[in-house]
Amino acid sequence: MNARILEADVGVVGAGPGGMAAARRLAAAGLQVVVLDEGQRAGGQIFRQLPVGASGHDRIAEPPSHEHGHRLIEHFERAGMDRRHGASVWDARPGRLWFEQGGESWLLRCQKIVLAPGAYDRVVPFPGWTLPGVMTAGALQVMVRGFGVVPGRRALVVGSGPLLLPTVASLVSAGVQVVAALEASSRWRALRALPAVIGNGARRREALWYAKKLLLAGVRLRWGWTVFGCEGDGRVQRAVIGKVDRAGRPRRDTARAIDVDVVGAGFGLVPSVELGLHLGCASRHDAARGGHHLVVDDAQRTSVAGVFAAGEICGIGGAEVAMAEGELAAAAVLHELRGAPIDAALRRAVAAERRAADAMLAAFAPMPGLHELASPDTIVCRCEDVTAQRARAAAALHGSSLRAVKMGCRAGMGPCQARICGPSLQAIANARPDEVMDRPIVQVPLKVVRSETIVDAPRD
Amino acid sequence: MTETVDLVVIGGGIIGCSVVQHAAQLLPPSTRILLLERGPVAGATSGSCMGHLMVTPDTPQDYAFTRTSLDLWGELQQQEGGFDHNPTGALYLADADEDLELLPTLLEQFRANGATAEVLDGRQLREVEPGLAEDLPGGLYYPGDGVVLPMLACGAMLRVAQRANPNVVVRPGCAVIGFERDGDRITGVRSERGTIRCENVVNATGVWAPDLAELAGQARLPIYPRAGNLAITGHHVSPIRTQLLEVSYLRFAHGAATVDPTRTDDDVGGHAVNMQPQTNGGCLIGSTRQFRGMDKTINHALLRRSLSRAQRYVPAVATAPIVRTWVGLRPYAIDKHPLIGPWPQLRGLWIAAGHEGLGISLAPITGRLLAQQLAGLAPAIDHTPYLPARFAR
Repeated sequence: MNARILEADVGVVGAGPGGMAAARRLAAAGLQVVVLDEGQRAGGQIFRQLPVGASGHDRIAEPPSHEHGHRLIEHFERAGMDRRHGASVWDARPGRLWFEQGGESWLLRCQKIVLAPGAYDRVVPFPGWTLPGVMTAGALQVMVRGFGVVPGRRALVVGSGPLLLPTVASLVSAGVQVVAALEASSRWRALRALPAVIGNGARRREALWYAKKLLLAGVRLRWGWTVFGCEGDGRVQRAVIGKVDRAGRPRRDTARAIDVDVVGAGFGLVPSVELGLHLGCASRHDAARGGHHLVVDDAQRTSVAGVFAAGEICGIGGAEVAMAEGELAAAAVLHELRGAPIDAALRRAVAAERRAADAMLAAFAPMPGLHELASPDTIVCRCEDVTAQRARAAAALHGSSLRAVKMGCRAGMGPCQARICGPSLQAIANARPDEVMDRPIVQVPLKVVRSETIVDAPRD
Repeated sequence: MTETVDLVVIGGGIIGCSVVQHAAQLLPPSTRILLLERGPVAGATSGSCMGHLMVTPDTPQDYAFTRTSLDLWGELQQQEGGFDHNPTGALYLADADEDLELLPTLLEQFRANGATAEVLDGRQLREVEPGLAEDLPGGLYYPGDGVVLPMLACGAMLRVAQRANPNVVVRPGCAVIGFERDGDRITGVRSERGTIRCENVVNATGVWAPDLAELAGQARLPIYPRAGNLAITGHHVSPIRTQLLEVSYLRFAHGAATVDPTRTDDDVGGHAVNMQPQTNGGCLIGSTRQFRGMDKTINHALLRRSLSRAQRYVPAVATAPIVRTWVGLRPYAIDKHPLIGPWPQLRGLWIAAGHEGLGISLAPITGRLLAQQLAGLAPAIDHTPYLPARFAR
């Protein structure tokens, strides 16, 4: 068997805004860079490109910030480096990344690692959320923007945070009627985000672009509303919607039904921290930044020598933050490898973007009361078909920790390894909506890989 | 605050849960039983192990021990269920011709105990299990083995206990920090959440049983953690429906070879792959044997060996998605027999630990034998080989 071993100065995980920004800068400085990305093309989730050869992209309108993204993709794809798409990193230690690509088992040996793996959709289980036609906002974006698929005719978009707007915009561009767009946060809570939006030119332009888009399509964003449940015969046909209180608890007296055939639910994002935790990087919990995220210093260095992080893995912040952090991480790597000084402007840019993002996300921090949407028979773990009731019985008998809940009902032990159910599992199981989740339990392989990938893994 | 109970069981793994179940069933319902577990119930070995229900026919005593226990598993399934009990039977597989010589001996052992088993050639093997490699020379099929999901079984045992006796309390997340004594007898347990007065305490803490014995002022028990590396596939990809094990396993598992738990080299004790179908269509692949203290980091060389052996027997495993790998620690007793019964040097202290890789198989009979001794009832089978007194000074 050929030893599939790569050598490079830097391994970058992820080709979203953070990874692309870091990789481009590193390659431009003459370093050997290998980028490992799960997607089929560069861009990550936010600047997702259509598959090569697919059509239909023109119809999907894009906000101003995406021009920035497309320029970055262009530069990234022109830069001299080894870009590997469809690559899943499943094991790592400092200086070593094992990955599967095209069914083959590879090892990348590198001096420095930059982690920019992005984020997952935060799933809030509600009755009927597993019906066909109900999906996360992220999945809906993949269908519409990534594959040019029109998922239905009458859409409901629910959730919380800045990602609702692009979801609505994509659906409207694709010709879908958005019958309701519901933001769980109240208008008053959201006002807290206003200074951050007004004070930042790019964000202001972005907000105005979306406002115009929604206005022209006749879609009114309702504040303090969410979905109470979805119903239908074999697929979603109706949704029950209503108002929530300030904590996100449903006000059942306000419930009403509407006819829909597709529902996108986007309750924010959760940082993809597994790789960082597996490498031993320190983390902390911050609800507004999406939960557990890696701790980095003022040059994007994690607590583990030779491991840097950029973007959502350091706490949810969006594409602008990720790009700024990617640039800074690259500068820090260059500093360590080449002794090049770190430009203070990069640090200032990261600080400014983080400040703006934190201010905005504080208005949309996860609302614990939304966990009360789940009824006893609502599935909370769809890999293992575990209901809220069973998760609660498990917590009552086995203990309140995340591990105890898993052991008591098998929730979170399927293929997704709690990436989907994890962020809400403990809170629902303990009927303690305000519960801070235990750190995710991370085990190899970090992504599902074939048995032979593990068997054939090149030795370090 | 001091509470008073009649029986404290320490350790919420499969053994502790079984002791609670059988004590609740055999002692009067007024008996106050408290299970103390430092972490989650089923959070340690019982949440990290395979769920093979295995009959070992080596001696009539071994057979009675395991077979009686598997019958009790069947009863628990009738009473409660909910733990993926699956009577799969087991195939002992030969890899090459030299393994075939092990089969007649094994067959004879099963038959001597009045059990049914049959030796199969390669073609017959694939009739039982179509996914097996075509070049396997043969194997032995024993229909009496099965599979359970141990962590859910712990819950089932506790639910049965709470139904049989309303005075059963389960307290996870509460560590024991000391014992109260009056001369040569136990009078209580000190926990993180206060002192509990009681006359009887069961040490069912598996690989931690020596530590707990020490905490009670006793000699460390000769139980050593023996690590196993495991892997599990995604759902609905299981290429098998029977419990599979390499017959070469017999050369070193359980009572066979002499091993030295103070050695930590990789090859101590040998390795044989063991594959188990899960009811969700996944396949659990184990398991290696290694002494290296409480270290739970994956040994990649051994894991690779397990997976590559699995691929040798079931070629479709090569492309099966692996969703998780981990390490579990078996509580290996130095003379390869579990410790079940009173500890003679401290009245009121009981032990149920040291089952190595047979803890799931033997949990029901262990709980039953211990509860029978607590209740002064006649034991279900000869319990004397398992009395901890053999290690008392």
